Amino acid sequence: MIEFQHVFKSYGRGRNILADVNFRIEPGEFVFVSGPSGAGKSTLLKLIGGLEPPSRGATLINGHRSDRMPARARPYLRRAVGVILQDTHLLYDRSAIQNVLLPLAVTGHSPAQSLSRARAAMEKVGLAGKEDLNPIEMSGGEQQRLAIARAIVNRPSILIADEPTANLDEESARRIMDVFRDFNRVGVTTLIASHDLSLMADYARRTMRIEAGRFTDMPGV
Amino acid sequence: MTRWLNQHRYALAVALRRLLHQPFSSLCNILVISLSLAVPIVVAAVLDTARPVVSQLPVSAEVTLYLERSAAAGTAQTLGTELQQRHPDEIESVEVITRDQALAQLRARPAWSDALAVLPDNPLPDAIVVTLHQHPDIAQTTDRLSREWRELKGVDMVQVDSAWVQRLQSMLDFLRMGLWMLAMGVAVVVLATVFNTVRLQALTQREEIAIARLVGATESFVRRPFLYLGALTGLLSSALAVAIAWGALQPLGTAINRLASSYGTELALRLPDGFSLLLAGVVVAILGSLSARWSVYRNTHF
Repeated sequence: MIEFQHVFKSYGRGRNILADVNFRIEPGEFVFVSGPSGAGKSTLLKLIGGLEPPSRGATLINGHRSDRMPARARPYLRRAVGVILQDTHLLYDRSAIQNVLLPLAVTGHSPAQSLSRARAAMEKVGLAGKEDLNPIEMSGGEQQRLAIARAIVNRPSILIADEPTANLDEESARRIMDVFRDFNRVGVTTLIASHDLSLMADYARRTMRIEAGRFTDMPGV
Repeated sequence: MTRWLNQHRYALAVALRRLLHQPFSSLCNILVISLSLAVPIVVAAVLDTARPVVSQLPVSAEVTLYLERSAAAGTAQTLGTELQQRHPDEIESVEVITRDQALAQLRARPAWSDALAVLPDNPLPDAIVVTLHQHPDIAQTTDRLSREWRELKGVDMVQVDSAWVQRLQSMLDFLRMGLWMLAMGVAVVVLATVFNTVRLQALTQREEIAIARLVGATESFVRRPFLYLGALTGLLSSALAVAIAWGALQPLGTAINRLASSYGTELALRLPDGFSLLLAGVVVAILGSLSARWSVYRNTHF
């Protein structure tokens, strides 16, 4: 469950990136966040992922007030939220599977268990057999799927993605969206920021529109 | 507990990978630290070797007053008593050796008996051997009293018998103090080198740190590999420093032994004992970790 109550976000004394944002997403929902560039979509996802605190207001993630969490507790929140950023942020000094192993090292899994879970995660996103490739040898779509494998390997209850299909051809974009849909079907709350209207039409069950930091259209809320 | 151990195992593996990833750079850092560490180890070895030799030498401060040959019989006894009464805090004992006793002692030695037999009369003066109390300012006391006694009526010459031993002892004390200062200087070198190494590593691993935080890494998780890196650098440097010091002591030992044998004694330069070296290695590893912690704290806020 994700809930925002009167959330504001600004940087320094600048204008509000988010202004009085209120919404609630139930467990297992598949939600698109749409809006023009600079509307505040990425900021919203960062707040949900616990990457940044709000300037004002209450943010509840899985029933916990993440805005009141001390800094040392936030990493544990991040483990419950799989984050996929537009720039995949993969490590190019190691193989694909070693990228997926990183979150498992963070949670202290044994090497054998980690390897088995990382292989399973790569298989789920359609990258079986590409474990030993360096990410730089992979296509843009494969790199995006590798980032998804890294985000889901610790079995998060929430998956958020920021423009995951940007810069991808239609076929690759649909493969990525199919992966998200599959995870959503097994109960993972999925939130995707995108301005690709055709994808939204095919996959979205609920769309939240954000413009100039305010929700102007929230069907289903 | 198992997860905690797994995280430590991972941190150690990452630290080793980072060390081996840039072997030349790592080796240079380790070499700088180990060369700095080798210097105090060599100095400690020299001090360790010199200490028992010096301690076997007579270090009590003895001053001998030789009276003029024209001094009347009994003058030495009177002067000896007078000195003891005048400086009770400084003087431990006074022994009067009359010219006849001195001659008798010399005659007892076969090498001297023939020479003394041809002399028309006793050439030796009366002597007073004064032993002073030991205290930290003994060198200054000896110096002051010997100057004062040189001015006494009837005293021909004053000789400080143990001055050179005192000087040697003072020099060793000075060297020991110097060793501590050197050790502190080396500690600064260790701190600065590890700090800089970790700073560069943290900047190189910026992306990995950011991703680790993104997937839920705690700050302890982020810092741990750097702490291991600091500790490993310290331990490897200590081991190499011992090897360098051992190598340096070989030619030094031969040279010093040649010098010692000309004085009819034997000196063997050797490394400080294993426990001291192990303790020093652990201290250097802890210093490396502390420095790494400080550096990573300052350089991973992004």
